[in-house]
Amino acid sequence: MSDSNCGERLTGHGPEWNNAKLTPAEARTATSWVEARVDKRSMLTSKDRVEDVRDIMWQLEKDGEILVHRIKDEHRPRMVKTLFGWDKKIPTTQLWHHKSCGQCGNIPGYPTSLLWLQNRLGVEYLDETDQTSCTAWNYHGSGIGNVESLAAVFLRNFHQAYVSGKARGLDAGHFYPLVHCGTSFGNYKEIRMFLLQSPKLRERVKTILGKLGRLADGKLLIPEEIVHYSEWLHVMRKDIRAMREVDVDHIRATIHPACHVYKMIPEDAIYDDDILEGNRVAVSTGIVQEMGAQVIDYSTWYDCCGFGFRHIISEREFTRSFAIDRKIKVALEEAKADVMIGHDTGCITTLDKNQWIGKAVGKEVSLPVVADCQFAALACGADPYKIVQLHWHASAFEDLLTKMGIDWEKAKAKFEAYLEEVKAGKGERLYDPRLRITSGPGFKKFNAAAE
Amino acid sequence: MHAAGTRVQEFIGDPVSDAPAIGRGDLEEIFGDIQADIRFDHELNGCLNCGICTATCPAAHYYDFSPREIVQLLWTENLEGIYDAMQEKIWSCAQCYTCAARCPFGNSPGGLVMIMREVAIKHGMQSAKDVLRPFSRVMLKLISTGNQLSPDMIKPDHFADWGPNISKIDAPLKLLRQAIPMPTLNTLETAWEVNLKTSIELYTIWEMTGVLTQLETIDENLFDVISDIMDEKREDYEDWLEDQEDDDD
Repeated sequence: MSDSNCGERLTGHGPEWNNAKLTPAEARTATSWVEARVDKRSMLTSKDRVEDVRDIMWQLEKDGEILVHRIKDEHRPRMVKTLFGWDKKIPTTQLWHHKSCGQCGNIPGYPTSLLWLQNRLGVEYLDETDQTSCTAWNYHGSGIGNVESLAAVFLRNFHQAYVSGKARGLDAGHFYPLVHCGTSFGNYKEIRMFLLQSPKLRERVKTILGKLGRLADGKLLIPEEIVHYSEWLHVMRKDIRAMREVDVDHIRATIHPACHVYKMIPEDAIYDDDILEGNRVAVSTGIVQEMGAQVIDYSTWYDCCGFGFRHIISEREFTRSFAIDRKIKVALEEAKADVMIGHDTGCITTLDKNQWIGKAVGKEVSLPVVADCQFAALACGADPYKIVQLHWHASAFEDLLTKMGIDWEKAKAKFEAYLEEVKAGKGERLYDPRLRITSGPGFKKFNAAAE
Repeated sequence: MHAAGTRVQEFIGDPVSDAPAIGRGDLEEIFGDIQADIRFDHELNGCLNCGICTATCPAAHYYDFSPREIVQLLWTENLEGIYDAMQEKIWSCAQCYTCAARCPFGNSPGGLVMIMREVAIKHGMQSAKDVLRPFSRVMLKLISTGNQLSPDMIKPDHFADWGPNISKIDAPLKLLRQAIPMPTLNTLETAWEVNLKTSIELYTIWEMTGVLTQLETIDENLFDVISDIMDEKREDYEDWLEDQEDDDD
């Protein structure tokens, strides 16, 4: 109570409202009741159950209207359970990398770590040039774009994934798309839902895809599942653990889950009763725990990172304030974290880049921020610079490496010397560069198997 | 520059002055466009004003923005309030969809905001033009290349608040990009190497879905620049196709 209110308080709640007059202990009990439920899985499952749009998809295929790009046995799928206990099939090989523009442009160690892990596991994949971004970052930031354009981009890219093997004499459907970006993952699932529910949208988009020559047997091609790389990492976590070379058991990790991965289409997010009691989305936590690190929960786990799509470009005061106050500071103070681990482009960028500026307002924070696949690759002995490309990260990753027992100064010196080899055109590649062009300008047929 | 006065006076008109008000017909047209979107009924199911959306909203922490207010304005068909919110408030939303995940009614305030942003652009609202001006680099990159972010956009002078460590290895950007072991990423102007054929397909999508019309409404200069780039790339592709035919002959 301030001195100026003379003991009077106006609530504005109306005459039916009465102060509960809880004792501090009772108030704590009431708050605990809320905390036990809020931000938890039950928050999502207590609502009316939504329809499974895959049912519509199978019916449309049966009716001859669409073709479904199937995950076949040759993709060696593994099954997981989603929010409501539904099955989701995750392909583990013959993967078409649907890259992320933010990752590739800004934090390239994100995709390189993933491909490096796949090389180690003998996974077959294709990383090619015939792919656009999903265009959803721009859409959510600016409103330029619409459901129709997003749908056409989605279907074009996924059609290319379907036919991409033809350049090497492989059957249609050989490669299955693996989406790297959380924004793309959420957007594509939302757009798939609208496409399956709206005959008019399908009709309009079919005209565009027809003009592009992007129909399969004259039909729209819809993927059986839309799969995020973090889901692949999740189902492969025991195989990856078997390759572990670095002890990370003492590392205290906090997870930042991406909103467009698990809030946008909640029913498709993976949950596992053995991972944080099924209360948090299982991806990232699953792989980090499997590698041996301690995953520490914190009170703002559910918050977004502050990326905001438009905000990170033109409303940066919001982005950096939110990132520092609601995520980084909390992870440091509550969880005593050594690292924050995420699974999305915008989140990693936001949380990684927006720490230094805290000095300007007396908020000195420092927490390494990396993606789950980068952390896993480091634990499996990947070079921190050549493969994990940590030099693009602004946060203090050196502290994490030191704690992991990795001599970063030695690794840095080695990489600086390696740049001379790169200058001379002797840089290492994760795959044969000729594979990256499958048609159009620059395409040349060759038989990789014969060489 | 905005004129002096409250936001309501500025955008809706002052009921006690002779300043021209936004006509009822215009307000109805704007609301009609919002309602006509195929997603409208999907994103709005009802509202008891519980406010759980606003309680969890990151933008509500920092801005005069409330997803509950957005839902209420649309639910009660408050046309003046909708128009007012479209000037500034809808651009505060961070598009995290936390509101949608939590709403007991299954509403998606974040989804409704997207519909309102599209309609603000369609109607060429000055506020939308002002808000999007700093975003034009992203739009230029995306529409002309199919990538939204590229290595050459991340420069210290553009992101001074990110600090001195854009890269912690002191070497030219081109060399550092060549040192990335994924061959598609040895690029500067796009995040990855995009096939010319792919860009041409994307331009067709932009044209057939009205995206270029949106762009022209919001930023005519940017539209002109992008049109020129598209024309050049199309010519390059035509030349390549002709070369192919010659080779076949």
